[in-house]
Amino acid sequence: MSITEDPTRGESVGDAPSSKRLLGLSEATSGRLRLLVKKARSTWKIFRANRMGMAGLALLLAFFMMAIFAGQIMWILAHIAGWSSSYGPFDRVAVVGQGTAPSEQHWLGTDIWGYDILARTIYGSRVSLLVGLVATAVSMGLGTAVGLFSGYWGGWKDEVLMRVTDVFLVLPWLVLMIVLATLLPGGPSVTKVIFVIGITGWSSTARMVRAQVMSVKERTFVERARAIGAADYHIVRKHVFPNVFPLVFANSILTVALSILSESTLSFINLGPNPTQVVTWGNMLEDAVNGHAILNGLYLWIIVPGMCIVLVVLGFTFVGYALDEIFNPKLRRR
Amino acid sequence: MVRKIVNSVITLFLVIIVNFVLFRMMPGNPVNVMVPSDPRIPSEYKEKIIAEYGLNDPMYVQFVRYIGDALSFDFGNSFSNINTPAMQIVLENLKWTLLLAGSSSVLMIIIGVTIGVLSAWKRGGLFDTGSLTFSLFFYAMPTFWFAMMLVVFFSMEWKVFPPDSALSYGTKFAFSVHSIVDLLRHLVLPVISLTLGTIAEFVLIMRSSLVDVMTEEYIVTARAKGLSEMQVLRGHAVPNAMMPMVALIAITLAFVVGGVFQTEYVFNYPGIGWLTIEATYSLDYPILQAAFFLIAVVVIIANLIADITLIYIDPRVRLA
Repeated sequence: MSITEDPTRGESVGDAPSSKRLLGLSEATSGRLRLLVKKARSTWKIFRANRMGMAGLALLLAFFMMAIFAGQIMWILAHIAGWSSSYGPFDRVAVVGQGTAPSEQHWLGTDIWGYDILARTIYGSRVSLLVGLVATAVSMGLGTAVGLFSGYWGGWKDEVLMRVTDVFLVLPWLVLMIVLATLLPGGPSVTKVIFVIGITGWSSTARMVRAQVMSVKERTFVERARAIGAADYHIVRKHVFPNVFPLVFANSILTVALSILSESTLSFINLGPNPTQVVTWGNMLEDAVNGHAILNGLYLWIIVPGMCIVLVVLGFTFVGYALDEIFNPKLRRR
Repeated sequence: MVRKIVNSVITLFLVIIVNFVLFRMMPGNPVNVMVPSDPRIPSEYKEKIIAEYGLNDPMYVQFVRYIGDALSFDFGNSFSNINTPAMQIVLENLKWTLLLAGSSSVLMIIIGVTIGVLSAWKRGGLFDTGSLTFSLFFYAMPTFWFAMMLVVFFSMEWKVFPPDSALSYGTKFAFSVHSIVDLLRHLVLPVISLTLGTIAEFVLIMRSSLVDVMTEEYIVTARAKGLSEMQVLRGHAVPNAMMPMVALIAITLAFVVGGVFQTEYVFNYPGIGWLTIEATYSLDYPILQAAFFLIAVVVIIANLIADITLIYIDPRVRLA
């Protein structure tokens, strides 16, 4: 591929005159769509060869299934094991005050509030994953916007934005999250946790996008677009952004892992959503500490949600690293 | 270099502004933000706070006064310990944090760099795969959870080390054998937790940086002129690979601070992290502000030192 060609645009779309139009879309759109599918397919081909990436993907699929079909899973388990009924995460199934050891009825036992630990763990995947994904979307959106703007326009705007980015980059994220979560009005809630994680996590993305934009904008295809009179907005949207996007995508998967860890940490120190209304793995652990799980010997109450966090984060990290190896030009070179 | 210093000063100034904005301009009455609406707090105290901080003055007057206070490290008295300045309490807790973070950082750097070097050197080998799995596993593990697991096994099941605090209950540190042994016994689990909880960063950064360096042509040259592998590593590869390590200190420091907070909280270790989290429960804003500011200052200075060091050790940065 010559350097004058914009790698994201591939062979020019009009070159395939005999192509069938997809879904009744216009020639150009369907061509672009076909190109996208082709790209996705070739990426998948490389990805499939990556053992670590595939292991991560399998882990993630399992946990997403668990989150989506939490109710059904409990129902099926109840039928197979012959429980008296299927338990929800907020059903008090035992006496409050002391947990019970694992039994036929409650495979992982119950916690001291009388909740079934297995049910809580399975349902807990929902909010844990949701917070991870949405918070990542927030921080990636913010980071990409700042990075694009700063890298493309440069000058004093860049200078100002980068100083602000520095503040967020330099301050340890956990400290900032703690202060924000404490000071923001309103009680602890899922929205607040998402906001806090999103607002503290964008700075490294902004740095990375900015660096990438600065190198992309010097390339000849951008110069060519500018020479034929393309507006800045058009160049950013059609040439710069598509070239930055794969890197952002790979990075955002790694960020989901960090966001899930952040959520669990915030919940753990009592700054997350209230465990009687919302269940996440993080606030199960918070509950476990407040309920003296260690002193009461209810180790499963700690071990199981913790292992879930480890496995999900590993899943995202594996997939993220595998994608990074595919998309990151620096790594591909070797 | 002047530019770096100027940038750090600007960053510091922005932190001061953020600190001000966060604590004074949150939606709602600043008085309510500064003084939590807790019925246990007497109204005379509220009046006193308002007078002391001049919370009814115009915002710009408050801002100017605030900057003066921040530069002299004065954040007022703690709410829960009314007669002690917040900064004094924070500084008292700092020594424990420094002990914990300092001893683990040394271990982290030594172990992390060694593992990173060994795995990058034989990339793709058995050791590399093993150490990568180990690092990613610990990377994925919440530090607080790892700390709890340590308590479960080493304090509860096997009763080898005490589960919490920095010294035996009710004792104060003295320079006696007994006291020092006690201190070390209490330090073991938190140090293990913090070290293993954060080491993955070091290993991964060191490894990828060295892998990068190993593909450079000067390594080929070094090998071609007949140097042994050890000489290549020691003389050419590792020194060059250390530079990204220094450059990335901001990120690694953030992880260390995060790890410190979680570890201190689980072990009730009386450092800054524990203090800050406790302050969020009692809504002790002066403590929160002082701790936030102090951590920011320390981290910014550390980064500045790293940047300046980089200028001295890396000619590419110096010439750029």
